[in-house]
Amino acid sequence: MTGGAPAGGDLPARSRGVIALLEENCTACMLCARECPDWCIYIESHKEPVPGHEYGAGVTGPAPGDEFGADVTGAVPGAEFGAGRSGPAPGPAAPGSGDDGPRSGADPVRGPAGRGRQRVRNVLDRFAIDFSLCMYCGICVEACPYDALFWSPEFSYAETDIAALTHEQGRLREWMWTVPPPPAHDAGAPLPREGLADRPRA
Amino acid sequence: MAAVDLPLPGLGAGSGVITVDAGGACSLRVFDAGLACCGVEVAAALRRAGALAAAGDVEEQGAPLNIFVVAGTVTDKLAPFVLKAFQDTPAPRRVLSFGACSNSGGPYWDSYCVTKGVDQLIPVDVYVPGCPPRPEALLEGLALVLRSRGSAGDGERR
Amino acid sequence: MTPQEIIAAARDGLPPAVRCEPDHLGVMLRVPPEHWLATLVFARERLNCDFFDWLTAVDEAGEGFSVVVHVYSLAGRHHVLVGTLLPRAAPRLPTATGIYRGAAWHERETYEMFGVVFDGHPHPAPLLLPGGFEGHPLRKDFVLAARAAKEWPGAKEPGERSVPRARRRAPPGVPDGWGPS
Repeated sequence: MTGGAPAGGDLPARSRGVIALLEENCTACMLCARECPDWCIYIESHKEPVPGHEYGAGVTGPAPGDEFGADVTGAVPGAEFGAGRSGPAPGPAAPGSGDDGPRSGADPVRGPAGRGRQRVRNVLDRFAIDFSLCMYCGICVEACPYDALFWSPEFSYAETDIAALTHEQGRLREWMWTVPPPPAHDAGAPLPREGLADRPRA
Repeated sequence: MAAVDLPLPGLGAGSGVITVDAGGACSLRVFDAGLACCGVEVAAALRRAGALAAAGDVEEQGAPLNIFVVAGTVTDKLAPFVLKAFQDTPAPRRVLSFGACSNSGGPYWDSYCVTKGVDQLIPVDVYVPGCPPRPEALLEGLALVLRSRGSAGDGERR
Repeated sequence: MTPQEIIAAARDGLPPAVRCEPDHLGVMLRVPPEHWLATLVFARERLNCDFFDWLTAVDEAGEGFSVVVHVYSLAGRHHVLVGTLLPRAAPRLPTATGIYRGAAWHERETYEMFGVVFDGHPHPAPLLLPGGFEGHPLRKDFVLAARAAKEWPGAKEPGERSVPRARRRAPPGVPDGWGPS
C-alpha cells in the first residue's frame, strides 16, 4: 500500500499539514506552549551550565581535567587569569621558545588569556505536540522567536491509536525533512519588515 | 474491491497516488455523520470517490464493510443521536473519527457542552487528525481502516 | 431615518427615563425594565424596525445582566439597539415574542445561558444545552471544569521540568482550589 509523502502539484504553497520542530533552534522559551489555545504543546526542559568561552593567547582547548573550568564558579563576571591552571603565569612569551603549548600565557597580539563567565542554557527534555487537539492555527509557528517551528504540507498520519497522535521530538524532527522552502511573496504583498534597513535607499 | 490508485496531491513535480487495496473481497459503504465543518471535507472526498466509482475505476465486489465517519464537533446535545446512528449501522462496521473535534474535542476541548472525542461514546478504529483534514486524508484514513481490518478480526463482533 | 431623527422621535414618543445615544451601529436606547415592551413596540411601529436580528444578554459583573435587542428597518435602513439592565438576584423580563415572533429562540437561549427569565414565553424549553445540564454557562462565575482538570502546559518556566508547588495557579476561569492537586 503506497501512501505517505505527497508528490503532486496540487497543494498550495503554505499548506498546513503538520508542524515540524528544528530542535537546534529551540531554546525552551515556552512561548509556543503558552500561546497555544488548545494547550496541546508539552515542553519539559532543564538548565545546564555552559563553560565560559576561552580566549586569549594560544588557547587550543581546556587543560586536561579542566574541561568545565573547575575554577569557574560562575559568580564573578570577567576573566580569571589562569587561576588554577598549570603552567607559567601570564606574560609575554619568550621569543623563540618554540612549542609553548596551550597555556603559554599572554600573547602580545591577543592579550592575556582568560575565560568568560559561565553561562546557563536550557536543554529540551521533551517537546511534544498533540495533534488530536491541534487546530492548526499556526500561533505557535508565528510566536516562536527562534524559527524552530515550521509548517509542512504532510497530511497522511492517521492512526488507529489516539495516543500515537501525540508526536514527540523525534517524529517532529522527521517532519522537518518535508518542510518546503519558503514560497515567493505574492505579487503586491507588502515587504517584510526584516531586512528593511539593509535595502538601498530609493 | 481490487487495488485502486487514487491521485494524491502534493508539492513539487510529479503526482502521487494512494493505493486502496481491500485485499480482494470488500466493498466500502461510508456513512458520514457530518456534524460541522469537517463534514464539508468528507463530502468533497466522497464526491470524488463516487465520481471515480461511477467512471468505472472502482468495482464493487464482495461483502460490504460499513464505515461510520464522524466528522465534526459532537455536542452533548447531539451525542445520543450519534450513538443511535452508530448502533443502527449494520455489522461489519468500523468507525473513523475525522478531525480534531471528533478525535478529542479539538479547539472546543474546554467547552461546557462538547463531548471530548467521539470515542467517549463509541469505539473508534481510525483517527484522522486535522482541522479540518484534507479530503485526501479521509481516503488515507479509509485505507488505514482496510489495512487494519484483518488484524482487528473479522468484524462480526460489532 | 438618520440617528438624529431617531433620537428626536424617541425623545418625543418615549418616557424620559429612556436614554438615547448614538452607537456604532445606529442608535442605542437604554430603557429601565418597566418600559421594555413599550420601547420595543415603539421601535416596531414608530421607527419601522420590522426586522428582528438578535436578543442576548451580557453578564455585567456586579451590576447585573443587561439584555440587548438589535432590530433593523428594511425600508429605512437604520439599526436600533434596545438595552436594559436587570438585577443579578432576580433577572426577569416580559417576553418580546408578542412583538417580534423571532425572539422566541433567542429568549430560550438567553434563559439557559444566563438564567434570565422571560415571563409569558410560549415554549421556554432548553435550546442548545442537553437535558439535565446544571447552571448557566455564560455567566462569569461559571467554572470551565475542563480547564480545572488539565494542567496548563505553559505554567512551567523555561528550564523547568515541572511547576513548583508554591507557584501553582489556577488557569483563567477556574477558582482557586479547583485545580488538580
